Amino acid sequence: MRFVASLVTALVVVGAAPQMASAQAAYQAPRTADGTPDLQGIWQVRNTSAAFDLEDHSGALGIPPGRSVIVDPADGKIPYRPEALAKRQENFKNRKAADTLNKCYMPGVPRITYLDFPFQIFQTPKYTLITYEYIHIYRTIFTNGSKHIDGLDFWLGDPRGYWDGDSLVVDVTDFNDQTWFDAAGDYHSDKLHVVERYTRTGPDTLQYEATIEDPAVFTRAWKISLPLYRHTERNFRLLEYECQAYADEAAKGSH
Amino acid sequence: MSSRLLKPILTALLSFTLTPAFAQPPAPAPGPGPGGPGNGGVPAIFGGPRHVPGGPVQHLADGHPDMQGFWNAGNNGGAVFEVQNHPSGRVPFFGPGKGAIVDPTDGFIPYQLWAAAKAKDTFEHNLAEEPELHCYESGVPKQLYVQFGFQIFQPANYVVLTWEFMHAYRIIPTDGRPHIPSNIKLFQGDSVGHWEGDTLVVDTTNLNDRTWYDTVGNFHSDVEHVLERFTEVDSNTIKYEATVDDTKVLTKPFKIAFELYKNTDPKYEQMEFACIEGNEDVTHYTKDKGGKADVKVK
Repeated sequence: MRFVASLVTALVVVGAAPQMASAQAAYQAPRTADGTPDLQGIWQVRNTSAAFDLEDHSGALGIPPGRSVIVDPADGKIPYRPEALAKRQENFKNRKAADTLNKCYMPGVPRITYLDFPFQIFQTPKYTLITYEYIHIYRTIFTNGSKHIDGLDFWLGDPRGYWDGDSLVVDVTDFNDQTWFDAAGDYHSDKLHVVERYTRTGPDTLQYEATIEDPAVFTRAWKISLPLYRHTERNFRLLEYECQAYADEAAKGSH
Repeated sequence: MSSRLLKPILTALLSFTLTPAFAQPPAPAPGPGPGGPGNGGVPAIFGGPRHVPGGPVQHLADGHPDMQGFWNAGNNGGAVFEVQNHPSGRVPFFGPGKGAIVDPTDGFIPYQLWAAAKAKDTFEHNLAEEPELHCYESGVPKQLYVQFGFQIFQPANYVVLTWEFMHAYRIIPTDGRPHIPSNIKLFQGDSVGHWEGDTLVVDTTNLNDRTWYDTVGNFHSDVEHVLERFTEVDSNTIKYEATVDDTKVLTKPFKIAFELYKNTDPKYEQMEFACIEGNEDVTHYTKDKGGKADVKVK
């Protein structure tokens, strides 16, 4: 019996090893009062190039160079269908006018996560609430077992979450086709389906992963992964970045 | 008069006063969505709640009242259109009405003379400047009486409010932290809260001068200071009061008060409110679109 237990333990360890290595799950997150992993705090990406282009890219005026944050497929490239890739190139050429982010519209998911602005996670037993400094967006992630809405579409999709060990997993559907993944024209259709995974990897780090599928645009699902960092500055708090109000000021020439 | 005698008389008087209200024919069935009629001012089309009195106030493990849920401003006399009394019915689409101001008792904003003139001029010439037409957040206290309702969350050390309208939110820390420096100005201001028994008290400063109290030009400056009190009186009702001061604009503070009603539909969820993503409001007010505004906006 003792032998069987050891064997089972050994098998479990062997089986789990690759996943643990990728998720850096050795760290055990503290728990909230209701026993779920505590993700609360103010977080922000430190990788400022992903929002410009998720793939490997050189620098340009105002654009920091960067390595791909795509971990699957292994070549770090978005697996476009051939006809969809042409549309991506066209988007890139017309990006100034075609990227709805430049009109102060909501940036969609996962793009909102790696824009270079802080966001704050709050948890209650039924909800995980994320408030973003960028254009006062919030996302209410239902962790109460409720189901997706049918027949509507949203700029930020419809997020339904559940806890999987140390991770918050968020299934997001019901997107429109108006947002991009980055400023390089990487896009999706309204068939987009995103599965986000938030996993604490240390006291001040949170790994963010998003698996993206859209059969109208991609040949297979693909995945990005990048760390988020906690703001530990004294008195740090979310302020406001009011894109539309600033654009109006600029148009009037008052500032 | 002994209190034993007083009580039945008061009960009788109250019954007499209340009976006519209850004797009215039943209200029509609520329209689509969570709203319903009979809420004292906000039409059902704007998410006005059907109020159901609740049970005793519930408390969370931390001892504070559990205000979590979906709420709607009720009985505010159409303050979302005009916060002060509007006896002339000057508000488009909304008849004469009472605002939400309970002090001064005349229901009007105690403006300094120059400010009264500015509000009048804005109403007559610049309604296209109305901040929400441009998709700005509503500011404080207006955010509490906008349409479509809001949700209260009580995570550890915070009270967080999220609105469907303009996907606005307010984060109210209750951990005793001080306000941010006064040179930082925000549409929603900087709020800090504390509990006084079952009442949440919220002090808000750092407001900018880019929001109005309503849709018709009633305004404040960037030294506006708001003290709000949220008192849960039963599990479906919060008494809301806000004292508003603004030494640049007002001769003295004014106070608004109304009740917040819980939306008790267990399946209700807030939807995404996109504004600038499809906004055409501003075009309706300019002269070239038949409006009366003097400014040409975008």
